[in-house]
Amino acid sequence: MLALAIVSGLCMGGMYGLLALGFHITYAVSNTVNFAQGTSLMLGAVLCYVFSVTWGWPIALAVVAALALCAAWGMLIERVAVRPFVRAKSNAWLMSTVAAGIILENVVMFTFGKEPRSLVLPLSGEAFTLGGLAVSPLQIAILVVAIGLALSLQAFATRTKYGKALLAIVQNPQAGSLMGIDVTRAIMYCYAMSTVLAGIAGIMIAPLFSVSAEMGTLLGIKAFAVAILGGLNSARGVVVAGFVFGVGEALITSFLGSAYTNILAFVLVIVALAIKPHGLFGTAGVKKV
Amino acid sequence: MKTLRDPLLLALAAAALAYAAFANEYYLFLLILGALMVIVGVGLNVLIGLTGQVSFGHVGFYALGAYVTAALTTKLGWNFWWTIPMAAVLTGIIGALLGLVALRVSGPYLAMVTIAFGFVVEFTAVEWESVTGGQNGLMNIPYPSLFGWSIGPRGIAVAAIVLMSLVLALYKRVAQSGWGLAMRAVRDSEIAAGAMGVNPLAIRTLAFTLSAVLAGIAGSFFASATTFVAPSTFTFFQSILFVLVVIIGGAERTYGPVIGAAIVVGLPEALSGLAEYRVLLFGVLLLAVLLFAPSGIAGALARRFRRSAPEQAPAPVSAQLLVAGGTAAQALEVDDISISFGGLRAVSEVSVKVENGKVTSIIGPNGAGKTTVLNVICGFYRPESGSVRLGQTELAGAPAFRVARAGIARTFQTPQLFERMTVLDNLLVAMQRGALGSPFAELSDMPTGAPAQKARALLHYVGYAGGVHRLAGDLPHIDKRLLEIARALALRPSILMLDEPAAGLNHTEKAVLAKLLRRIAASGLAVVLIEHDMSLVMGISDQVIVLDAGKRIAHGRPEAIRNNRAVIDAYLGGAAFDARPRAAAWKPEGDAVLAVEGLTAGYGAANVLKGVGLSLHGGELVAVLGANGAGKSTLMRALSGLLRPVGGTILFAGADVSSLAAHRIAGRGLVLVPEGRQVFPELSVTDNVRLGAYSRSDFDPAEVDAMLARFPSIERRRKSRAGLLSGGEQQMLAIARGLIAKPKVLLLDEPSLGLAPALINELFHVLAELRDQGMTILLVDQMAALALAVADRGYVMESGAIVHAGVAHELRNDPALERAYLGHA
Repeated sequence: MLALAIVSGLCMGGMYGLLALGFHITYAVSNTVNFAQGTSLMLGAVLCYVFSVTWGWPIALAVVAALALCAAWGMLIERVAVRPFVRAKSNAWLMSTVAAGIILENVVMFTFGKEPRSLVLPLSGEAFTLGGLAVSPLQIAILVVAIGLALSLQAFATRTKYGKALLAIVQNPQAGSLMGIDVTRAIMYCYAMSTVLAGIAGIMIAPLFSVSAEMGTLLGIKAFAVAILGGLNSARGVVVAGFVFGVGEALITSFLGSAYTNILAFVLVIVALAIKPHGLFGTAGVKKV
Repeated sequence: MKTLRDPLLLALAAAALAYAAFANEYYLFLLILGALMVIVGVGLNVLIGLTGQVSFGHVGFYALGAYVTAALTTKLGWNFWWTIPMAAVLTGIIGALLGLVALRVSGPYLAMVTIAFGFVVEFTAVEWESVTGGQNGLMNIPYPSLFGWSIGPRGIAVAAIVLMSLVLALYKRVAQSGWGLAMRAVRDSEIAAGAMGVNPLAIRTLAFTLSAVLAGIAGSFFASATTFVAPSTFTFFQSILFVLVVIIGGAERTYGPVIGAAIVVGLPEALSGLAEYRVLLFGVLLLAVLLFAPSGIAGALARRFRRSAPEQAPAPVSAQLLVAGGTAAQALEVDDISISFGGLRAVSEVSVKVENGKVTSIIGPNGAGKTTVLNVICGFYRPESGSVRLGQTELAGAPAFRVARAGIARTFQTPQLFERMTVLDNLLVAMQRGALGSPFAELSDMPTGAPAQKARALLHYVGYAGGVHRLAGDLPHIDKRLLEIARALALRPSILMLDEPAAGLNHTEKAVLAKLLRRIAASGLAVVLIEHDMSLVMGISDQVIVLDAGKRIAHGRPEAIRNNRAVIDAYLGGAAFDARPRAAAWKPEGDAVLAVEGLTAGYGAANVLKGVGLSLHGGELVAVLGANGAGKSTLMRALSGLLRPVGGTILFAGADVSSLAAHRIAGRGLVLVPEGRQVFPELSVTDNVRLGAYSRSDFDPAEVDAMLARFPSIERRRKSRAGLLSGGEQQMLAIARGLIAKPKVLLLDEPSLGLAPALINELFHVLAELRDQGMTILLVDQMAALALAVADRGYVMESGAIVHAGVAHELRNDPALERAYLGHA
């Protein structure tokens, strides 16, 4: 039982990690987050369903199209719900991204309908045994994709010209613009990246959770907790926190029942922030007076 | 109470009560719901509108209140009315505890804590079946009774409306009282609030607790109105709705929550057939309000119908007594304070002794640590060692608000006013000295009364002639400075510390400031001044302290400092340095590569650059010199696009680039090596250099090695993270990074800043080499003598304009140069 819990915990942890990475990416470059990240997860799943099931497209095309639209949604959010407030030096982006999420969720509800549908991916086949455990190909795939994406992003950031440019503007946006880097556009692309990550997470867990307009809300909030705990400024921190959170949740559920999982999870978040106000791996900035 | 006689409030209450008398059961319930939403909204308004915080978890307090009432009445048979104070106490305690945790952080972290709290309450309600009835909740909550008679839903409606009216009236009074003043001060500028004696954490926790208690009480009424409670009512979305009520209605406005609640409860009814779209509409409304009407509907209405309060003539009360009659004169003694940031020693064993009735000035080149010393004394930084003693009290390490209450007041380099509060209110905050007073006092913006009189007298004293009801954010720059000084005086301090008060002022305004500062000192206060304007400093100071690179290098009377060799060297660069001028005579050819005309730019209300004009020809090295505050760095920022000019033209390679973004200007070949190096600390040296070529399409990676070979001191460290390099190495790296962009013009902003003398020599050696290789360079540096040694021509700036220009070697011996730096002898 323990082993099964750990496996499923690692899978969920991978999902949390992907979502949390999305929070980290936008926070690192712009000190803002997309509070509607959970809705972006839902968007990926819903679009994939519509394209592959309702319209009958081949699954590969459906996935690519869904993610492309997720990217567009991310850029739209940055442009409409974040940039005007950052320019005005106000914190209202916290509430406007929530509003954007509400709008999207409801639009989907009225077009897609309220009943959950099930999405079958080529990988959600039958479980096979691996070292004495019953593991489904989907779970393996989720883990591989999550870790693979995290590693690819790291490689992108540290080895490519554009990746290093992103690191540069995280460290010093003004100096970055002096190098010729268009910081505003880079932030927009980071928002696109973060919604694509959420979309991938949504598509992958759709077979486990079934697709509906509200599937993303609680997941998004938990992923935000993961990001906060890992420290919004640390990519490694949020991914590690994602796996720890996922496994922790699974273990608590298997021993104490799913009832207390959520309570404990959120209480721990409050306690952790009480002790380390900038996240477990985060660092406080020096306040310039 | 006068506030309860507010006609709008009475009309509202009367209309609601009338409706309650005749409405049917369904609409009666909506009315109750609406009134309760107003109550929660008013509480949240205190938190969001007055104090500027956020909470997405207030449904938790609503639920707590509801469950307290439900459990106590159904399980223990309590009388409903006694459950209300219980709910208030419970939510108050939990609110205060949560506030203390949550409010040490801000932004997304604060949002997360409140969200987590809401979920903990919701899920606990589901799990703790014995107390809460689990998923099914608690039912058959009895209606409240009075004198043995059940008052029924209609009675609840009346009670809710009465409570709502009371709460609205209370909000109005609290917002106007010392409490409201302190809250708004914390919202507008936490730093300035601390400097005026307000404890930001305490105020934020107070606001949070108040909002929690109101939500809890509303929850109690909710339980008895619906007669059952279940976890499904208290979802995360409900918290969002509460926030909506405040934002859409209008944050900070008293009746904002009324409008917001009317919309949230009434809109679904008005839509009837389209009611299921209500959530979508709420989302759209919220986004629309945030984007287009940030002060909500109530705010937009108020703006339409605003009547400005009539201004009164200033009172003839003498402020002399006010200023001197503060705390008994205490001497300030600062001994050997030191502080480092990230391994860099910013201030090293600096001692300052300040006497009452005298003006002490702290001067020094850029980066000397002057503002850091001020921040340590005033409690914004904690020193690693040393002491700060005011009279008998040791203040080192004490937080800013405690230092302020002890009697040290300060102003800031950029005025930190409470921009959304009136001139009068800015002063009233300081006058409280951290004490909140009664929550019912009618203080804010009241034109009459003792506090207002004192405020007017202080404003008259500093020379402020404008209206007292104007918003501080709308004032012109000189008035902002005067207001900041008046506000500091309102604290009745014994020490007044000013950080570059003359920045952005013209000649006449500076003369007025000088007289004011002497008058303040004459009335018994100690005045401590950080300034760059030497004429001002030498003219009014009794004592001058000179800092350089974090250490005190001289102190004494102005005349002695003026002629002190060490001081002159620190500013201009002494003879111990050597720089190589051009070997043979040389003249530039062709048109100017960079031509600037009438350039005007600044930050906020003050223009730092006032019509600057200069030109640069191909192959020249031109130096721009001048004292701090003259505008040299601002000029560099305007040329590179980091700062958008408000007027004038910058012609670069034939095109006007003054309105282009920084990255485009860099892409065209006008490259800035910025002040303070600004390397990318976590990237390697190689990566830093490579990024310099970001916008070049013809870049060959082998060039990185070639470039590093030109700077041996950093080539050895090519794999190190740039943040670990020394100051001198980082400067070389920044120059290499600028050079690899193959610039047409290279701008260098204060490259010698913070460098050890040996490295300064190496730096100017590199500059001479670049010049000899034909690079076109515009150089700003404090080391005037060195800069003129390598340059072909020079410009001298003062107060935002070019006052002198000429051939470099002639400028070197021109007395005008020394005057520009050290003031007239």
